[in-house]
Amino acid sequence: MALREVLLGPIYIARALLTTFKHNTRPIVTIEYPERQKAVPPRERGKHILHRYADGLEKCVGCELCAIACPVGCIVVEAAENPGERYAKRYEINLLRCIYCGMCEEACPYDAITMGPRYDLADDHPDKFIAVKEDMLEPLSASVGDTAVPSGAPSAQPVPRKW
Amino acid sequence: MATVQTDQVTLTVNGQSVTVPKGTLILDAAKKVGIDIPIFCSHPKMAPVAVCRMCLVEVEKMPKLQPACAVYVAEGMVVKTTTEQVNKYQKGVLEFLLINHPLDCPICDKGGECPLQDQTYQYGPGASRYQFDKAHFDKSVPLSDKIVLDRERCILCWRCTRFSEEISGERELALIQRGVHTIIGTFNDEPAQSAYQGNWTEICPVGALTSRQYRFISRPWDLDRTPSVCPGCSMGCNIQIDARNNKIGRFQSRENVAVDDSWLCDFGRYSFPNFQRQSQERPRIRRGGRLEDVSYDEAIAFTVDGLKRAGGQAAGWASPADTNEELLLFRRLFRDVLRSPHLDHRSATVVDAEPGDMTLSIADIERLEHVVLLGGQEVIDAAPVLHLRLFKSQRKGVTVLKVGAGQVAEAVAGVSPDCTAVGILATEANKAAAVDLQTKLQRKIKGSVRRLIVTTGPNGRGAKDLGILPHLGPGYVALNGQAGTGRTEWPGAGLRALYVHESSPLHGFTPTDAESMWLPTVPLLVFHRFKPSPLDEMAHVILPGHAFTEKDGTVTNMEGRVQRIRKGIDAAWVREDWLVFQEIANQLGASWSYESVGQITSDLVRGLPPYMAVNQEARVLWSERP
Repeated sequence: MALREVLLGPIYIARALLTTFKHNTRPIVTIEYPERQKAVPPRERGKHILHRYADGLEKCVGCELCAIACPVGCIVVEAAENPGERYAKRYEINLLRCIYCGMCEEACPYDAITMGPRYDLADDHPDKFIAVKEDMLEPLSASVGDTAVPSGAPSAQPVPRKW
Repeated sequence: MATVQTDQVTLTVNGQSVTVPKGTLILDAAKKVGIDIPIFCSHPKMAPVAVCRMCLVEVEKMPKLQPACAVYVAEGMVVKTTTEQVNKYQKGVLEFLLINHPLDCPICDKGGECPLQDQTYQYGPGASRYQFDKAHFDKSVPLSDKIVLDRERCILCWRCTRFSEEISGERELALIQRGVHTIIGTFNDEPAQSAYQGNWTEICPVGALTSRQYRFISRPWDLDRTPSVCPGCSMGCNIQIDARNNKIGRFQSRENVAVDDSWLCDFGRYSFPNFQRQSQERPRIRRGGRLEDVSYDEAIAFTVDGLKRAGGQAAGWASPADTNEELLLFRRLFRDVLRSPHLDHRSATVVDAEPGDMTLSIADIERLEHVVLLGGQEVIDAAPVLHLRLFKSQRKGVTVLKVGAGQVAEAVAGVSPDCTAVGILATEANKAAAVDLQTKLQRKIKGSVRRLIVTTGPNGRGAKDLGILPHLGPGYVALNGQAGTGRTEWPGAGLRALYVHESSPLHGFTPTDAESMWLPTVPLLVFHRFKPSPLDEMAHVILPGHAFTEKDGTVTNMEGRVQRIRKGIDAAWVREDWLVFQEIANQLGASWSYESVGQITSDLVRGLPPYMAVNQEARVLWSERP
């Protein structure tokens, strides 16, 4: 028995090496993270983004439908009044508790919140996982040109209304 | 077949037989057997108008659908509320209402508690077939400094205009224009002046009338609701404290037919910002001229030390916004432990108190023949919801006579000798005149004459009942030979300590000129209160206490109705007021061992049997003493 294995040993080794070399010819799936980033699918559910209208006004009106749709209760919204308009004074998401299910996105009547492509959310302290409004708001430059208004302040122009 | 003539009517609603008194609306008869008919314009306190057409039901042998809110029941009526035709009409009515009603529910304060929203989900069509632009009206119109009107959202149910006509009688809101241009508004767009505007927001079935103070504060599902009693005045209207994140968002009314008839006044409704804490503060004592933060134990020890030295020369002032439980301990602390008779709860006006002050109950005003409002508007200002009750009585045929405080003779002349029931309403300040008027009227007419004295503070009556008075003990028993001095006499009485307890900034200890001179000379001034006030400057000890909205207990309204208040806001870092009293008393040699407010309540009932009423939230009835 033992002798037979000794004699067949090289064949086993050769077979194993064959497998190894076969993989050498296949395309590489690992990437050099973080120098290189993986392309995410267009419908990736990563960190949330709060959107703005074309004139820079935040879309979120603080209606709290995302908060009540959230199955884990990780969203806190408090609304306030800018002359004539309602906006979210406070908008916080606990990213540790969030399960990235996208229900908030579906509940939002103004398409103000969507799940973004960012997935690299590691950090070194639990407190840093509370995303506040400024962390999630779209930068002004992304949506507006020269007519940008400061963050949080509504524009003087009439706002396009959906209803 | 001979039928027995009764005032009961039997009808069938959806196959269920129901017997109701004659003159009942189909809507109420259906409600009695648990059948829900959707409504917008109908309101149980107001006459039917049937303008919204939401409550259409099928009545057999009637050619068309009938509005359930305006058709009275008849013998043998067969009502169907769920037929295909009714459903079709309900869908139609809702689709028409939603043609111009904006779908801005996400920004609407009513969203989540909106009858239009709820009924659209329950009875309405899933989609609208209307393809054109909605009619646009003005949004967020300030109707007054308290109310915001959104004319787009208004579905013209007339509830607010009817309130202003039938309930408050001010006729301030009206429908302006005709047809699709109809809007609600005030005359000449002047700001609304009514003292009962908050009720409009509550009865509005959509978000057209909303409260300025509650604007965008919260969603209804975020609110913690606590049933309590309004801290505004001695009326004792039932409220619900709606708080979010331990912060009061609004007071809503809670119906109590015997007291508020489901309405609140704006003074009470919008008084809640007064009960908002600004900071978490600690007890402070004055050492070397300045106040230092200390622990409760240290502050209590300091107080006990000072009170011990003052003994019978210590005076106590408890605010008329304290609970009965606190007042009971406060009285015992002074009368039994410190053996000091100098107790008071009154402000500058010193008035006598007796059980006869509340022989008339609020609900009984409607059943009188004649009401004399001694002091006129003064009485209404002291308890604004009384006006709604008086107006209701007036509509029922009660004669309301408004006279000045000094016009007793005119009031007597105004009442005819064959009156059977007369009531007198007056404020505490005019009590003497009210008693005078009562005796004179009693001599003139055959019927009964009763009076109701409007006390100050939500528990001014309780303070009197429990003997927070220099000359009376609990139950209005005279303190023979042991009477102390009242608040107005304190500045010259050589007192050696003053303990002020207040739990509402609306009914606080506001020093008069004489008191401002005297207070700095008092050797020990203990200020047990919930919010910083100018009196802090003079105090030697400052003990943070709970506000009216932060504690459990009972309060007695002007007619002697004992009602429970509950903790709507949690301020756990503040030691309970009654616990502080107990610790002070125990360090002064008493041995109290109360563990909860409930134990104090049962002790209160044991010592003062008329307070048994507390268990039913009923009126305390004193057998009148001569």
